Amino acid sequence: MFSDQTSECVSFPSSWKRERSLANSGCQTGDLITEEVAVQSRKYRDQKVQTDEEKDKGFRLADDRSGNLAEFLARVEPYLSKCLNKNLRSHAFDEYNVVWDEDNASVSCIRKLENAQFEGQLQITGLSWNSTGAVIAAAYGRYDHEDWCTHKTALCTWNLERRTIDENKPDTILELSCCLMCVAFHPTNPAVIAGGNFDGAVLLWDLSKEDDMLLATSETGEDSHQEPVSKVIWVPDTTTSKKNKFLLMSVSGDGKMLVWKYDRKTKKFELNNGFILMSSSLPKELKKTRNMRGDKEVGVTSVSFNCENKESFIVGSEPGALFKCSMNAHGEPAGSHVVSSVPLRSPVTFTYNPHYGPVYSAEFSPFHRNAFLTSAMDQTIRLYTMLQKPPVLTIEPGEGFVFSAKWSPVRPTLLAATTETGYLLIYDLKGDQTVPVLKLEASTKKLPVYTCQFNMNQPQLLATGDGSGTIHVFRLSEDLKSAQAREMDILNNLVDIAVEQ
Amino acid sequence: MSEVEETLKRIQGHRGVIGTIVVNMEGIPIRTTLDNSTTVQYAGLITQLTSKARSTVRDIDPQNDLTFLRIRSKKHEIMVAPENEYLLIVIQNPDAV
Repeated sequence: MFSDQTSECVSFPSSWKRERSLANSGCQTGDLITEEVAVQSRKYRDQKVQTDEEKDKGFRLADDRSGNLAEFLARVEPYLSKCLNKNLRSHAFDEYNVVWDEDNASVSCIRKLENAQFEGQLQITGLSWNSTGAVIAAAYGRYDHEDWCTHKTALCTWNLERRTIDENKPDTILELSCCLMCVAFHPTNPAVIAGGNFDGAVLLWDLSKEDDMLLATSETGEDSHQEPVSKVIWVPDTTTSKKNKFLLMSVSGDGKMLVWKYDRKTKKFELNNGFILMSSSLPKELKKTRNMRGDKEVGVTSVSFNCENKESFIVGSEPGALFKCSMNAHGEPAGSHVVSSVPLRSPVTFTYNPHYGPVYSAEFSPFHRNAFLTSAMDQTIRLYTMLQKPPVLTIEPGEGFVFSAKWSPVRPTLLAATTETGYLLIYDLKGDQTVPVLKLEASTKKLPVYTCQFNMNQPQLLATGDGSGTIHVFRLSEDLKSAQAREMDILNNLVDIAVEQ
Repeated sequence: MSEVEETLKRIQGHRGVIGTIVVNMEGIPIRTTLDNSTTVQYAGLITQLTSKARSTVRDIDPQNDLTFLRIRSKKHEIMVAPENEYLLIVIQNPDAV
């Protein structure tokens, strides 16, 4: 079964290894090129150069070489003197104006600005141009509150010099939870603006800030107003020697006139000074009819400072009385029921014949130190002089309440007024004083026009704000924007001669 | 005080006179009551204007000549009394109070 056997060798080639193939090849890099360069930093040297100070070319009068000067002068003097004297008496050029610029003979409304968001539900309660005259700010609010103010209002500004201006959308909108009753731009800083609320708070904004523009607020505590703020006004700070420092004065229906100082460090308002208007200051005729007690506060509606004497100001009140006041007056102190951290006293030094209704505006003339202008609910515009009780001039436009009356910043005899019936009236005291030289519709819906404001930098612009929240910007004609000869004389005559009589 | 100064003072003393300048025939000021830059400006410009005005008058009628030049502006009245050797310029504000 088993036997030896030798089997032959079996071989098979490797399946995973292959014979290596070899080949020869050569390679060579290109020639390396090297080069040597020397570098060296520069040497600097300072050298001063100076031009010689150029001496003033030396204005010299030439010598009179011919020597006939005396003769010449003697010859021409008599005629020249005659001309000089004649010129002073001549009225040849009165009322004569050359119109060099074209297309400015008429007054036109160039802009109708509105915040479309409010859909005409809010009124313009205040307007202010900024110190450069490019931006106009409007306070939106309402005058007719029956109880708490729950309106959502705003402070809106438009830059009229911007090329892409949207008349229905303001450049900035600062929203507020309460009616804003007045605004006033800072006299020198074009971005700073102050306002007063219906709830009595005084606010300060910086429009150049990115996010939170509110700089300070007076809050609504005991130190602030208890009634709607009726006006805010910037007054020069006479307590420091530094120039261009301003304080903010706010007046309100609670009779207080408060002077605020903004402290840069604490970023808060400090109460700097304060006054109060009491019913004991009212003229007799108003006391009698109203049967008022002497220690009641009287609502202040308007205030204006004298153009020369920075301590002197006038205020208009709710019962219609007008008062001359002084920052230095030491009148009666406030009643014990008025709480305040600074002593409040009466600033009244003189009383004028009152209006027969709340005073809406009072403004000193920018040209005459005694003249001031008032307008009131009794439908009259009055011109007073500081020196006497009765008004110098009374204008009755017959267009309902006169909500504002303003002096032109360039023409001493020109004034603008806005009425309940929606008109802007422009009067010139030079001609017929009781008839307006211009009567313009300043409200498309015949709504009351509450405010008007001249632009100090561009005297051809005048803005009005009406009851539907629309601002009309008017461009005035050449004769209304540039001062004419002898206007100052006319105003002087009107105001000063009336006193002498 | 010389006669010249006295006369100039009298002219300057009139109401509303702002300045008085005497210019020689080259247009260079000889006497002035104004400051240097204003004097130079008035002297140069008014001399040019006066010679232009004179040539206008004489071109229209060669027998005629300019005797006096008055310029009324919004603010001033400039009066010029010309002669072949001198020019007297007086600037007045006629509305001066």
